[in-house]
Amino acid sequence: MSGPIEGSPQLRFRFQMIALFAFAVFAGLVMRLFQLQVLESENYARKAERNFTDTIAVPAPRGRILGARRRLLARDRPAYALFVTARPRVLKKVQGGRPPVFTREPVGDDDVKRLAALVDFSDADDEARFVAHIQRLREDPQNGRYAVSVRSNLSWDEYARIQTRTPLAGWVEIRESAIRSFPLRGMTASITGYMREISPAQLKASPQAGYRPGDRVGKTGIERQWENYLRGRSGRRSRVVNALGVPVKDPPANAVAALPLPRDPIPGQDIYLSVDVELQSEAHAAMAGRRAGGVVVMEVRTGRLLAMVSVPSLDPNLWEQSISRKDYQAWLSSPFKPFVDKTVQEIYFPGSTYKVVSALAMLEDPGFDPEAEIECEGYVDYGGRRHRDSHRHGTVNLERAIVQSCNVYFWLLTMENNLTLAKMERVARRLGLGERTGLGINSEAKGIVPTEALESRQGRFQRGVLLNSAIGQGNVKTTVLQVAVLYAAIANGGFVVTPTLVDRIETYDHKVVLDNSDAQIGAPSSVNAFDLARIRKGLTGVVNDPLGTAYRERLTSVTVAGKTGTAEVGKRRRKSKKKQEVIEGWDTAKDHAWFAGYAPHDDPKVVAVALVAHGGSGVDAAAPVVMRVLDFYLGGAASGGESRPRAAGVPPPLPGQQHFSSQFSNRRHTRGRP
Amino acid sequence: MRHRLGRPRGLWARMRSQIDWVVIGFTLCIVILALTNLRSAAGVGWGGYVRDQLTYVLIGSAMMAGLAAMDHRVLYRGAYIAFGVGIGLIVMVSLQGVMINAAQRWLDLGFFRFQPSELMKLLLVIGLARYLQDLSAKPRGSLRAAGPPVLMVIIPAALVIKQPDLSTGIMLVLISVSIFAATELTLKGMLALLSTAVVGFMVAWQGLLEGYQRQRIDVWLSPESYPEQGGYQILQARTAVGNGGLLGQGVEQGTQNVLHFVPYGVSDFAFAIYAEEWGFGGTVLLLALYLGLVLWAINIASQARDRMGSVLCIGVAAMFFWHVVLNVGVVLELFPNTGLPLPFFTHGGSNVITMMCALGILMSVSRSLAHR
Repeated sequence: MSGPIEGSPQLRFRFQMIALFAFAVFAGLVMRLFQLQVLESENYARKAERNFTDTIAVPAPRGRILGARRRLLARDRPAYALFVTARPRVLKKVQGGRPPVFTREPVGDDDVKRLAALVDFSDADDEARFVAHIQRLREDPQNGRYAVSVRSNLSWDEYARIQTRTPLAGWVEIRESAIRSFPLRGMTASITGYMREISPAQLKASPQAGYRPGDRVGKTGIERQWENYLRGRSGRRSRVVNALGVPVKDPPANAVAALPLPRDPIPGQDIYLSVDVELQSEAHAAMAGRRAGGVVVMEVRTGRLLAMVSVPSLDPNLWEQSISRKDYQAWLSSPFKPFVDKTVQEIYFPGSTYKVVSALAMLEDPGFDPEAEIECEGYVDYGGRRHRDSHRHGTVNLERAIVQSCNVYFWLLTMENNLTLAKMERVARRLGLGERTGLGINSEAKGIVPTEALESRQGRFQRGVLLNSAIGQGNVKTTVLQVAVLYAAIANGGFVVTPTLVDRIETYDHKVVLDNSDAQIGAPSSVNAFDLARIRKGLTGVVNDPLGTAYRERLTSVTVAGKTGTAEVGKRRRKSKKKQEVIEGWDTAKDHAWFAGYAPHDDPKVVAVALVAHGGSGVDAAAPVVMRVLDFYLGGAASGGESRPRAAGVPPPLPGQQHFSSQFSNRRHTRGRP
Repeated sequence: MRHRLGRPRGLWARMRSQIDWVVIGFTLCIVILALTNLRSAAGVGWGGYVRDQLTYVLIGSAMMAGLAAMDHRVLYRGAYIAFGVGIGLIVMVSLQGVMINAAQRWLDLGFFRFQPSELMKLLLVIGLARYLQDLSAKPRGSLRAAGPPVLMVIIPAALVIKQPDLSTGIMLVLISVSIFAATELTLKGMLALLSTAVVGFMVAWQGLLEGYQRQRIDVWLSPESYPEQGGYQILQARTAVGNGGLLGQGVEQGTQNVLHFVPYGVSDFAFAIYAEEWGFGGTVLLLALYLGLVLWAINIASQARDRMGSVLCIGVAAMFFWHVVLNVGVVLELFPNTGLPLPFFTHGGSNVITMMCALGILMSVSRSLAHR
């Protein structure tokens, strides 16, 4: 080992080399800095922005649902919702002297318990589901990263309690949100439908639709069918968060400047329905006391639905809160089926209301003489069985058979005039039966129009079925709405309308997206006009002929034409005499009561159909409902709100005659059956 | 020569000639930047970390002034005693030191946690300076003479590495090697040392390095794969540096800093925060200040009248040089994570005071030039 002597040129050189080395190393550092801070700086600026930018969705106000005269059926109401991030960022201590690490960890059981203690639950079950929901979220690394709404509609108390609790700040957040409000409650439930949180299956099925866990979507009715119009497009708002993912109160100005621009939500579109809320209310009131059933009121020429009532129904507002399992189970198991829309989802024997189909099928046979009379003995013997009618109708032709609802006449048609299932089926299908009407909400049922193939498949084809089919029994099944379409076709000259609820859709700034108001009948008439006139005459007689089945329910204000129906469902069960037949005062052994009518009889404007499940006879249970509705809609308007029942002994106006009001009685018409 | 003939007249003239204003100027600039940056990183105004650091700087300044006023030849007499005290303190640490983050590096003095390994850096320089001074008086060329200095390095280094504090141990070795390179080592010797280092590293890699130390190298090579082992910190520090851009985000405006994305912003990763807020211009300025100090120290060393003074200056230069290079190099991902402080930027009394003492010695040697 030897070094140069102090002050020697060798030493100077050595120091110069050392200085050069130091300079070179620092130059290396500067080069690296140049690379990071100048050449690649844009890249790292983006990374830094991604670090602090938290973009949250701004929910779009959902469009309103309005009835005629802008009456509200559904709207959004501002509320506060509880959002949780089940896998929040935390600063994790690491073993072995290394720096702590920011990572995403599921929240602990204690945290969940602490949050649950601040929320008001309806019962223990509600709380259990709340906790389970958060636990499910925290197990999911994907969804746990986002703030998910776990409870909407917080009360002020809950809001204050949660907002002031700082230990929750890392993962719990209250955001402004909205809940759906249905001001008319259960009255319009089957039309508007209700909303629920999006299901995981639906979320997975439509990844492109932009839904997030916790979003609410329409589950039934208009809310579901027009979901894409109602929901609007959610906006975006970005905010500055720190390394823990918590929004900072006073962010650096350059961070705020670097945030992506907010995008305003586009409110959903308003849907204007043809539903007349007053009429709907009247129909709903008319169904009071009836345990289950439906009413449909429709314009005969356009198919616009003016009222559509299904009872019983659930207040859709209930779904905006948490629902206890007990209630839910009770609804599910209820014999009255509150979830089922009785107007389109449930199918029933149409009973005698179907006789118009049998009659039209027969009239298409050129050899058939509708004026030919038969003698009704009150029964026929056929196939070794005696088929009984309600009573002897005496001498009847087609028109009288309809007026008096004579089953024997139609039975004899099938037995003697070769009225086959095929003929009936042809007419029934032309009039829209056996197929969905196309309303499009609440998963409509198709109904059943029996064919020989269908009947044969279910065992040996019995001709007794044919007899029953002619009077709307056997295997014929229809929805209430289908019967409304059928009678609308009879009233409007044979045009099968497509029922609609939506008149118009407008954007929030009143641009019309869809206008259905001048929709016209497109399809050609499906039935001969002479035949229809004959049927219409019969239907007018049903209400206005003293022998007509619905004579005692006739209105003074307007002349109604229609048909009663009493679908015998209880016959077999009546024999069994089981105790379960009567459920909560609802005698399931009783027949389904129908009435389908239109008015005014000479210039039909609206058709109204009522079905009362196990309500008894059509004239007693269903006809008053239809009459009340028609009276309200047409009579009330025509006679200045005054309508009177016909006094006893006053002859009904003949078909084609103008109605004259009674001069004897000032009693108000008592709505419904006394 | 820097001084006129005859004794300087008047206080002002004496201050100009006896005080090394270059050292003070560089130091003041660095300290101001450091305190500003510390305030920004701590984010709690002038209290807390900044007040602590300022206190250390003031204490250090007093010691710096004292050492500068002292003739550096006084150190010649106390060198071995000081060195021995330093070894003693380190031994004491291993007996009853404070454990922080699984390492036993600190002595609790009640008001202050003292890290003797920091002071050891300076004491080693002083010890080596004395030995090399003595050596220069003897005849040259004796290989036996290499024994004692090597032991003087290896004993403290081994003790420090046992704490465990590998990086300070390496720092001790680097400082010593720098000193040898400036004085005794031939080119051949340096090459031999370099090859020994490479072989030693490979042996250490195989067996001697602790798990966490080996892992740090893995993390350094691919930080993305080891987020929980410090990779997160490295990536976020790199992002902070890059986010600084050409001119920086502005003091207390760096988003990575203000929003706490850079862990250890007041200690090992202070440079990342500085880089984000001051940009490329600021980092070049800071590196220039450090380099200026280092080059100035080498300049003084080359002019020193005796070997002791020269070695002391080289030692001080080496201390600054290696601290800056290793700390900044870690932030810039040129080296694996070591945990060495950036002088004055990293919060911590032991390092600040040691560094200021070193600067005091530098000024003392510088003053001796003025007497020549």
